[in-house]
Amino acid sequence: MKVTLFATCLVDMFQGDVGKAVVEVLERLGCEIDFPEQQICCGQPAYNSGYVKESKNAMKKMITAFEHAEYIVSPSGSCAYMFKEYPEVFKGDSLWEPKAIALAAKTYEFTEFIVNVLKIEDVGAQLEGKATYHTSCHMTRLLGVTEAPYKLLQNVKGLQYVDLPGKDRCCGFGGTFSVKMGNISGEMVNEKVHNVEDTGADILIGADAGCLINIGGRIHRQGKPIKVMHIAEVLNCQ
Amino acid sequence: MAMKTSNNRFHDRVTKELENQFMRGAVSSAQDRFQTRRLQQAQELGHWEEWRSHGEEIRKHVLENLDYYLYQLSENVAKRGGHVFFAQTAQEATAYIQGIAKKKNASKIVKSKSMVTEEISLNAALEELGCEVIETDLGEYILQVADHEPPSHIVAPALHKNKEQIRDVFKDKQGYTQTEKPEELALYVREKLRHEYLTADIGITGCNFAIAESGSITLVTNEGNADLVTALPKTQVTVMGMERIVPTFEEMEVLVSLLTRSAVGQKLTSYITSLTGIKDEGDTDGPEEFHLVIVDNGRSSILGGEFQPILQCIRCAACVNACPVYRHVGGHTYGSIYSGPVGVVLSPLLGGYDDFKELPYASTLCGACTDACPVKIPLHQLIHRHRQVIVEQEGQAPVSEKLLMKAFGLGASSPTLYKMATKMAAPAMSPFTKNHTISNGPGPLKAWTEARDFPAPNKNSFRDWMKNRTKGDEQT
Amino acid sequence: MTGTIQHRDTFLANIAQQLGRSPITDLPRPTWQYQPQNRVLKDATKDELLEVFIKQCANIHTNIVISDRTKLAHDLQSVVDHYGGQSVITWKDDRFQNYGLSELMTEKWPQANIQLYEWNTQQPEENIRQAEKANIGITISEMTLAESGTAVLFSSKNQGRSVSFLPEKSIILIPKSTIVPRMTQAARWIREKILNGENIPSCINFITGPSNSADIEMILIVGVHGPIQATYIVIEDC
Repeated sequence: MKVTLFATCLVDMFQGDVGKAVVEVLERLGCEIDFPEQQICCGQPAYNSGYVKESKNAMKKMITAFEHAEYIVSPSGSCAYMFKEYPEVFKGDSLWEPKAIALAAKTYEFTEFIVNVLKIEDVGAQLEGKATYHTSCHMTRLLGVTEAPYKLLQNVKGLQYVDLPGKDRCCGFGGTFSVKMGNISGEMVNEKVHNVEDTGADILIGADAGCLINIGGRIHRQGKPIKVMHIAEVLNCQ
Repeated sequence: MAMKTSNNRFHDRVTKELENQFMRGAVSSAQDRFQTRRLQQAQELGHWEEWRSHGEEIRKHVLENLDYYLYQLSENVAKRGGHVFFAQTAQEATAYIQGIAKKKNASKIVKSKSMVTEEISLNAALEELGCEVIETDLGEYILQVADHEPPSHIVAPALHKNKEQIRDVFKDKQGYTQTEKPEELALYVREKLRHEYLTADIGITGCNFAIAESGSITLVTNEGNADLVTALPKTQVTVMGMERIVPTFEEMEVLVSLLTRSAVGQKLTSYITSLTGIKDEGDTDGPEEFHLVIVDNGRSSILGGEFQPILQCIRCAACVNACPVYRHVGGHTYGSIYSGPVGVVLSPLLGGYDDFKELPYASTLCGACTDACPVKIPLHQLIHRHRQVIVEQEGQAPVSEKLLMKAFGLGASSPTLYKMATKMAAPAMSPFTKNHTISNGPGPLKAWTEARDFPAPNKNSFRDWMKNRTKGDEQT
Repeated sequence: MTGTIQHRDTFLANIAQQLGRSPITDLPRPTWQYQPQNRVLKDATKDELLEVFIKQCANIHTNIVISDRTKLAHDLQSVVDHYGGQSVITWKDDRFQNYGLSELMTEKWPQANIQLYEWNTQQPEENIRQAEKANIGITISEMTLAESGTAVLFSSKNQGRSVSFLPEKSIILIPKSTIVPRMTQAARWIREKILNGENIPSCINFITGPSNSADIEMILIVGVHGPIQATYIVIEDC
């Protein structure tokens, strides 16, 4: 199965290991990975801040870069959801709206792809440790991917899972919110980290680079012995 | 009061409120409690999504046909001896009500909770005439005695105050001598307000739902204060936001069911009262004179536009209770009587962008509000739409941000520029980097690094790894 | 007497204009796509509804007594004693006699120094004065909602609104035959009256237990402006 990787700019610049894990896991599951070099950014940072015009060129670039793809897979529910917004952004545009609709229809978040398309719930991963999971807002509420991560995690051998209190409460990233309203964002991530600590977990797992850079950044500042891992990295552990 | 509640700058309000540990503790506990109860009730009722969809279709239908239902309502109120005044502006509404107070020589007025009366600054207008206006909802009464402090939550207005502060308010302003025990505070207020109900000239209420078919107004309380406000004084004035209307009793009960569960996690509140016109022939309680004031105050300009869904709101505050930002900053930060997500959407529309332009950015667009709304208002989408309006139409975005976004737009559509930027990122950041971490970031990063570390950009990007890998594969 | 209507035309014309059409003067009753309320307690028998009702009373701080015509006088007396007797205000209502309460109210109570006042359409000020100083108010439910534990009270010249909320204690007599699943049935019943051209009461009160508030630190206080205590006495008349 040919899978076109939508790595996301955050992974590309800051979390290369996540990208590598996604590639390795999908290859192990029998996929052939293609990475269009023309891809840059889904446009979300500008779009979410209200700069719709400024984000359109970036979006068109993405539509073109992925036009050839059969399956587009992204390790970010947030960015995958952004692709799903493209039809609305280009509504009424006779050239770009149909392309956007086509793009949105073949876009999947990483865990969603494995469970719902590849129909695999056990990827043969193994990782010893006590872990908890933060559900990313855009992935769950907007993209609607709620079950796939849990199905995959419960089959990771050696992993002891504990539920995170307030797991579906926003971590405070929100893209530019984290700098525009840095103090509020800081309080939100602080509460999130307290909740993670309260579980006694040594590993915090998430499925979105933005959330993980945010929560990880706070954990690192506080010097807590909690490892922050993207679910792709967990699933890549053998 | 008026909608705007503060002259301080938004960011100053945020700083101040973040330091209020009691408020933050009170708000998070309240949120947890309300959320848990709301979800429990939804589960117990079953088919919650269908209920939400029904609520949505009722509210949408009414807005699409608002003129028809308001016509029907006014005819039926008049048939039952009530007077109806359609007020385009806040001034028209308050002038009309001042007229009633003058005609009745009213000196004492009792009020039950009403957000729209705060919007139009009704209390101040009546106090101008020398009337004593007494709030009877316990939370509102506490705030009134505390020098007209603004509410911090639509349903629990005094949420930000602890019982010691409440005791002190009564002690300092009214010579209260008992303890801070909630039962004692409540009993004190009960006895004090009893006298007021019995001697008031006019009772003023808001309106949870007006019923067009019968000309009725429905009031939803737990305290029973609205019943006393409407049963005892000889004149009743009900002020209603024009969109707070349903076709018949059948739709009223559906929306009440959604409201009470979503707001406070109850199947029904203690008192749901439908009042129709003046008292009947032979009744010895109830009003001899009834006035319904229907207020526009900017609502009609929202109709027919992309923000119309916000008028579906039934003022349950489920969105407020779900909001992770409200959780930390509390209601006063919003600088509006409407706080939380509904306040973020409504305040700029009714009050203008000048006073409320920061509000749409006080959100992570997490969607918890949209999920919680019992009538399916797409709140996070409307919040986003405000951002677009602020940038494109209002020209209110900061210049530096506009430039940054322009640069983003360029960089994100040109692979060459992007590659350059990423190659430059690591060395550009190296003065701030230690152990692959940025702890004290420059420019916009500074706000991030107050509380968190930021990873230094990778020297080699993921795409380089991908490229080399593919090349490597090709070679082998 | 018909009331006045002011400034309606411009107000409504403005609304119609905003909605992009001319004012509507006629509208058929909408057909709703969803009617979830019909499902609730759909096939429950009266006995099952009574069970639900009894259970709900515990959640709403309301005492409940199950009685019947033969025991009613005795049971009512017990509750009145429990509430400290002294003074009682009731509606002027033939149903009290039908329920066999005349002897209790007109003979036994005066003997026991329990003052009884009956709402009197000729005495407006006295009515309020008596309701304000009465210890107990007794009313009768027109229709009773099982799901929420709610009594529905109608006002009239003989049925003062104040009887159910000025006294500190409220006793509501609930004929079992009046119990229906939920507010849906009450709403429809009231609508029937309206559509039949009947004048519905100027006050219809859906009362669920005593008054309460959580406005002080979210701590529930039972008994604020309305009654502090409430008892339902169910009369098994079917």
